[in-house]
Amino acid sequence: MAVVDFIVNNILTQASITIALVAMVGLLLQKKPGGEVASGTFKTMLGFLVLAAGSSIIVSTLSYFGEIFSEGFGTQGIVPSIEAINGQAMNDLGLGNEIALTFLAIFLVNIILARFTRWKYIFLTGQALLWMATMTTIFGFYGGLRGFPLILLGGIIGGVFAVAMPAIAQPFVRKITGSDDIALGHFCTIGYVFTAGVSKLVGNKSQSTEDIKFPKGLAFLQDTYLAVGAIMIPLFMVTAAFAGPEFTSQYSDDLNYIVHAFLQGVQFVVGVYVLLSGVRLLLAEIVPAFRGIALKLVPDAKPALDAPVLFPYAPTAVTLGFISTTVGTVIAMILLPFVGLPVLLPGMLTNFFAGGTAGIFGNAVGGIRGTIISGIAHGIFITVLPALLVPIFNDMEFINTTATDVDTVTAALLYEWIINPLISLFN
Amino acid sequence: MIKILMVCGAGLGSSFAMEMAVESVVKEIGLDASLDHTDISSASGVQADIVIAANNFEDQVKRYGMNSHLIFLNNLIDKKEIKEKLVPVLEENNYI
Repeated sequence: MAVVDFIVNNILTQASITIALVAMVGLLLQKKPGGEVASGTFKTMLGFLVLAAGSSIIVSTLSYFGEIFSEGFGTQGIVPSIEAINGQAMNDLGLGNEIALTFLAIFLVNIILARFTRWKYIFLTGQALLWMATMTTIFGFYGGLRGFPLILLGGIIGGVFAVAMPAIAQPFVRKITGSDDIALGHFCTIGYVFTAGVSKLVGNKSQSTEDIKFPKGLAFLQDTYLAVGAIMIPLFMVTAAFAGPEFTSQYSDDLNYIVHAFLQGVQFVVGVYVLLSGVRLLLAEIVPAFRGIALKLVPDAKPALDAPVLFPYAPTAVTLGFISTTVGTVIAMILLPFVGLPVLLPGMLTNFFAGGTAGIFGNAVGGIRGTIISGIAHGIFITVLPALLVPIFNDMEFINTTATDVDTVTAALLYEWIINPLISLFN
Repeated sequence: MIKILMVCGAGLGSSFAMEMAVESVVKEIGLDASLDHTDISSASGVQADIVIAANNFEDQVKRYGMNSHLIFLNNLIDKKEIKEKLVPVLEENNYI
């Protein structure tokens, strides 16, 4: 018994080890050679721990930023980052095992739905599924679910989203790509459909964004981490200036407080970079295995892929969508406190990917004018929804952050507004 | 062994999708290659023989002046396009 106890208490509670073991079983089932099994298992574990390291960097800069923002502006300034939410849920809340198992459950439900319904989509964007698993786990946990029911329900809800979101995006994707080969697997789809709706109302399809020439100087916005830094670093510096040297000296010691804020801003980008490198390692074995199994079981499956597969079809719309979405998030940041919601800073990572894709959707139905106006509306939309979750994240002691990616936020609101009240009814 | 690197904005989703498409092309033509994917910022630090990216990243990838053969795609998972653009580069450099 002592051995079993030891395994249960010291090994299976360590999510990095459980996930590595799951990867190992998967690799063995695929009858991979011994060397590949060993390297794949190790890389998966490495990925989880790199993710955790990135998370702790983000948390330390975010807690600094939270303090100086409250001091400088007298209100809470939330940085939306699904990466930070995932990292904290996995590590600080100890939900790593549940998230990993939900992630696998979503795969299973996705395959079953694709096999037996007419939605033949296989959702291959691993990180998006990881964010979805994170959110269903956090909110199910918050509603009182534990263990198997928590994972099962998360798997079902995530699995339904994994086929439903590509399905609602497909009419637009067909229009954008001119074919039915690609499907979109990105959990910001409700925002894209919203954008397309607005763009249809206000736009004029005859003038496409792709007919205009964009200044070359803006090309750096294509470089994700550069774009994140370009906003976050000045934001940290301005906030520190408002908080003043006296307050900030407790963090900056002998270093000039603005220089310190500058370095903290860079540190935030570093944290995101490290965390996403961890995610890359973590997914390297799992996604191809899932794809292999899914395509075997669902021969006529359509792989749903990450948003940037659409970028080559309308690169100018991507940049325009990114800029107009960012403008929308800034407008929302200023307006939210007036309706009693917390201040949400622009989440640059999601502005980049979701904003860019929203631009393509906006352009497809409403041309230049549609892209600009619907992009601004999109920015407001993707700021308001996560703002509604802030009280819960605060309550669960997440450090100064909220989720991004509106489909995962919608799933969370589904828990909060419908599922959790039902659960408490039966308890 | 020839090393082919797929590149996209965050180095997570679309470069990975590209990698899986390139993998089946590489298998089809019987090439022994090592494949990987990463983000633009990291790509310049990786020694690869061939770098493949979406055409919208062309300016960014070129700016880093990487010492690799560059291929840009319109449809990231179109095996026909990948083959059409990859095979000439492979032949030119005597990889096949």
